[in-house]
Amino acid sequence: MDEGKPAAPPVRHLELKAALLLVMLVALVSGTALYLMYARGLFEQTQRLVLVVDDSEGVRVGMDMTFSGFPIGRVRRVELSPEGTARILIDVPLKDARWLRTSSMFTLVRSLVGGATLRAYSGVLTDPPLPDGAERKVLVGDTAAELPILVGAARELIANLNKLTAEESSLAASLGNLKTLTDKINGPQGAAGVLLGNDIDPKKIAAALDRVNTLLARVDGMAVKADAQVLGPDGLVAGSRASVAQLNAVLADTRGTLKKVDAVLAEAQAVAGNVREGTTDLGALRGEVDATVRKVESLVDEVNRKWPFAKDAGATELKLK
Amino acid sequence: MIERNVARAASGAAYHVRMASASSIQGALTDGVRALGRWLQNWWGIVQLGARLLTLALTPSSYTADYRRALLRHIVLGTAPSLLWFTVLTTLLSLVVIRIVLVTSVSYGLTQYALEMVVRVLVLELIPLTAALFAALRCTIPRAAEVATLRSRGDWDAQAKAGVDPMHLEVLPRVAAGLVCALLLAAISCAVTLLLAYLAVYGFTTAGFDAYTRTVGHVFGPGVALVFGLKIATMALAVALLPVASVLIGPARPQALTSAELQGLVRMFFVILVIEGASLVGNYY
Repeated sequence: MDEGKPAAPPVRHLELKAALLLVMLVALVSGTALYLMYARGLFEQTQRLVLVVDDSEGVRVGMDMTFSGFPIGRVRRVELSPEGTARILIDVPLKDARWLRTSSMFTLVRSLVGGATLRAYSGVLTDPPLPDGAERKVLVGDTAAELPILVGAARELIANLNKLTAEESSLAASLGNLKTLTDKINGPQGAAGVLLGNDIDPKKIAAALDRVNTLLARVDGMAVKADAQVLGPDGLVAGSRASVAQLNAVLADTRGTLKKVDAVLAEAQAVAGNVREGTTDLGALRGEVDATVRKVESLVDEVNRKWPFAKDAGATELKLK
Repeated sequence: MIERNVARAASGAAYHVRMASASSIQGALTDGVRALGRWLQNWWGIVQLGARLLTLALTPSSYTADYRRALLRHIVLGTAPSLLWFTVLTTLLSLVVIRIVLVTSVSYGLTQYALEMVVRVLVLELIPLTAALFAALRCTIPRAAEVATLRSRGDWDAQAKAGVDPMHLEVLPRVAAGLVCALLLAAISCAVTLLLAYLAVYGFTTAGFDAYTRTVGHVFGPGVALVFGLKIATMALAVALLPVASVLIGPARPQALTSAELQGLVRMFFVILVIEGASLVGNYY
């Protein structure tokens, strides 16, 4: 047996080295397996969330649902409901479930590059937490679906442009008319021919202009004559000036008369003041007379009371007693 | 008369040409069938050898003190010298590929997919293949050459005559060592690559551990993990078994040895190619 063995150097600590290698192998394999199980969420407690969407295209098993950019759930299953809608079953770890509330919104966004993304939005974090097994509708935003609409609109726009710029289009006809117009404006009849539309009327306009010029010359002569009559030495303006001088003299006389009237009025005012003072003195005199009369009356009453020969003196005295 | 004879001679020549071509096609078909039969026979022999080795591996009598020492010796000698070099090689290769993927994804604005792509390209595809080929080149092919030398020198028959089963003493330890070597190198390279990918993306911090773990979990779905495990296991089995089996199923004559080793290499690369293709189909279709 020993003769058959190939000559090889002995290995020191053979069993220890071999054990180390085997332990390393087992540790690496089992560690990797445990890590992968942990990464797949096998050791996590989760709650189920069901999202309902009309079209589950782009949704894959294993894809994440994010909240504020952080993955908080993972798609476990996609199935068809009896109503024909897609049901996306998502496992949300309990430690992340606090971000989902009863008022949370869920969106499915399909982008041009990359897969679809599921997102959760919780506006009011004080709302009650989302219960286990809750079912919610998903709002869908599809970039790829917008493209055909955009392309259709662009195609329609291009077709309209083509129609607009075609040979027999109204824009081309308008441009042709504009060219004819500019040709006419540049022609012998000019803009008048364009405005009046025929060759006779512009001639009439020219004749009318000539007559207007003649008329203006005559009006000019009349103006010269009128000027002489109005502004000349014996004209209207000179006469007016003399009348104004006479008017000024009349006004000066009037002013003197008015001053005299003012003096008369001042004297009348003084007389009125004296009369007012007299009236005031008469009031005081009347007051004094009234007081005197009252005194006399009281004196007469007292004499009557004290008079011994009065008819009803005893009775009076008796009354007093 | 002469014309008739000429026409007869011409038709006879055409007949011989047709017969000759028919016999050549028949010969080619026969050769093809024979080659196919030999090919199938060889593969059947390899399968039988594998089954025999598996039986030996599961037999307690294969683990007596002498056999166990031989087994441990081959495991240590086949695996330990390759570990350091392979780890260095894997680190360099991973760093280069990770850097390329990261820079490219940043330049295209697709950084969110960089880590997933690194894990897919390196851990799932490149590293297991590299580990298997490295194990084949450093461990199993040299060990198969040793077995071929034993057979050509007559030591094999001598052991058999001495009452020692060479399958127990020479073949099973070598195949087991190749298997352990391939598996250990694949495990180390995967761990190193995962670590390097994390460091390249997040740096020396633990802040990205959750996101990284989530990405890895996202890549390694149940199907992908199963395909990955099967791929590593079958590649390890192929590189451990095929070189030795090709030597053993062939004749022990010296003039046929080179042919047997080459056949072993071709078979091994063919099987690796099939495994790689099957894993691609399993992962992406």
